[in-house]
Amino acid sequence: MGYSTTTRRRFLIAAIALSGTAGGIRVSRVWAQPTADLDDASLRTMADMVRRLFPHASISDEVYAQVIDSALSAAAGDNSLASALGEAEAAVNAVQATDFIDLDPDAQIRALQTIEETPFFAAIHSAVLVGVYNHPTIWELVGYGGPSFAQGGYLNRGAGEVDWLQEAD
Amino acid sequence: MAREYELSDDSVVVVIGSGAGGGTLANELAQKGIDAICLEAGPRLALSDLENDPGLMAGRLGWNDPRIGPGVWLCKTVGGTTVRWSGISPRIQPHEFKPATTYGLLNDTTLIDWPLSFDEIAPYYVRAEDRMGVTGTHGIPPSFETSNYKVLAAGGRAIGYSEITTERTAINSIARDGRPACTQIGFCHEGCRIGAKWSTLYSEIPKAEATDHFELRTEAMAVQINHDADGKVTGVVYVDADGVMHEQKARAVAVAGNVIETTRLLLNSNSSRFPAGLGNSSDQLGRNYMRHVSTMITAVMPGEVNYHKGTRQAGIILDEQHHRPERGFAGGYIIETSGSHPEGVAGAVGGWGQRVADYVEKFSQLSGVFVTGEDPPQADNRITLHPTERDQYGLAVPVLQYTLHPNSVTMQEHAIQQTTALYEAIGGTDIIASRGVDLTCHNMGVARMSALPEDGVTNAFGQVHNIDNLFISDGSVFSSSGAANPTLTIVALAIRQAEHIEARMNRGEL
Repeated sequence: MGYSTTTRRRFLIAAIALSGTAGGIRVSRVWAQPTADLDDASLRTMADMVRRLFPHASISDEVYAQVIDSALSAAAGDNSLASALGEAEAAVNAVQATDFIDLDPDAQIRALQTIEETPFFAAIHSAVLVGVYNHPTIWELVGYGGPSFAQGGYLNRGAGEVDWLQEAD
Repeated sequence: MAREYELSDDSVVVVIGSGAGGGTLANELAQKGIDAICLEAGPRLALSDLENDPGLMAGRLGWNDPRIGPGVWLCKTVGGTTVRWSGISPRIQPHEFKPATTYGLLNDTTLIDWPLSFDEIAPYYVRAEDRMGVTGTHGIPPSFETSNYKVLAAGGRAIGYSEITTERTAINSIARDGRPACTQIGFCHEGCRIGAKWSTLYSEIPKAEATDHFELRTEAMAVQINHDADGKVTGVVYVDADGVMHEQKARAVAVAGNVIETTRLLLNSNSSRFPAGLGNSSDQLGRNYMRHVSTMITAVMPGEVNYHKGTRQAGIILDEQHHRPERGFAGGYIIETSGSHPEGVAGAVGGWGQRVADYVEKFSQLSGVFVTGEDPPQADNRITLHPTERDQYGLAVPVLQYTLHPNSVTMQEHAIQQTTALYEAIGGTDIIASRGVDLTCHNMGVARMSALPEDGVTNAFGQVHNIDNLFISDGSVFSSSGAANPTLTIVALAIRQAEHIEARMNRGEL
């Protein structure tokens, strides 16, 4: 039950390294961490859960795993997200005889639907929404530029450009 | 040169809060040679602290202390909410100063007319627009037309709107008043990194400091206003950054804590003479809390808009701001461009699964608006103190109680219907709209101006009815909300209030 000792240790190390972070709730610049260990069954389960929550077909498993890693790191010192993930993992694995990571996508969605009213699901949902939609790979996918001050804003980089508007006169 | 006043110096005016109301009032007083101390609960940030990072800045700017009730947009930082605001600066319209007369009886509301008319405030609007550099006034060119504005304007024209403009924005369209022109960075709500958007942080406060009549004390949280046996206020107790309590003596006190903190401070300043709190003899303090009717509408357009490229609120439609009861509601609303980032879009769609992901993948095609409309006052929309919950200062936690009036629900639906038609007229699809009260808010009411003391808390100059030297200087004094974003009116009222304070001092009354 819960994620493995090695995963837990790695999360704790990351948490300690980042414990001085201002705010402690959300950090959007932690993507430079070591690549997530996708051999870890717990982490793969969590990454799959995040993919089903916000399914972007062209985004790699590694990105979804980074979201988990980052969310846990950003929650430094607060174990509630880690325990929510542990509860979710146990719950989705218990839905069928087969482990969550071995289910097909539709079955994974049905498994998640069985827990979507729980407090731990809500905690995970809000944390990983922040993580997924502040990930630079997602920004690139959807065409969001992110911080623009260092590039001088958008005044000479596309502000005001719209080429499809056709008015009657 | 900025001054340093003694705590015992009772010749100073103490202004609590450094935002639109407090920052403006303190500077106006200092410019007139009246000594003023501004107590600001938050720290002072530099432009370089204003990063293009919504999550980071929510923590850095926001007033995130415990509070019960719907979300609010308070800032705890020098400049207050003028650091975070969008810059949209329409005036409250003449008829909106007389809502009771204009709208007649609205069930379950406490509508009153303002004790001042549009004509009385008009000259101060002109001065406020000059101070703030509002586009379309004082020879200042209209704002740059962003792609999101062009879409809004085209859709608006397609459904017959004609009052569509990029004027009325307090963001420099040209370099002015020592501040540069906007470069369309797009992170207005995170604080303008270059200072193109007006904020007391880098406009009024430094100007006040350049006089010999002003001191800013940061991380100074006011916890109580003291008074003497005659009921005149005598000083302000505050806690400094080290947790040490001080009392600054005062000739007069002005409170500008953005409604919620204004209410809390006055309620906490109760005494045997004022058992229900300072300024609460009428039992009106904290009541008539207004937030504006608001909604956010997003549409997927047939081509790219890239609404993140440029000013977030860059233009407005005023056609619906008029009072036309045939629409089924009293008052009106303003449609304003708005945008978001992928996280915000995902949150707006709501839930999880393919629908959320697909919507965010259309990010480059999204167009959006924010609507702000008149919200009638209700006696039970109010701010009170929690009986037992305490914050880190040991102060009672504020409790916000707020429900939408049926008039507001009807208006919100009308606004959603109109903006949906607007987007559909130019090919928009997959339109999503927020409903209810939990969106952003403009805080108003709670210490409203009233001709009769029993109807409100302050007179037409923001002076508390039964306390000669206690003033309220923020949106708390609004008798009604109008439709307009409130900052311009707060600034105009602060300029007017400073003149009033000066005149009364010259007459030996203060």
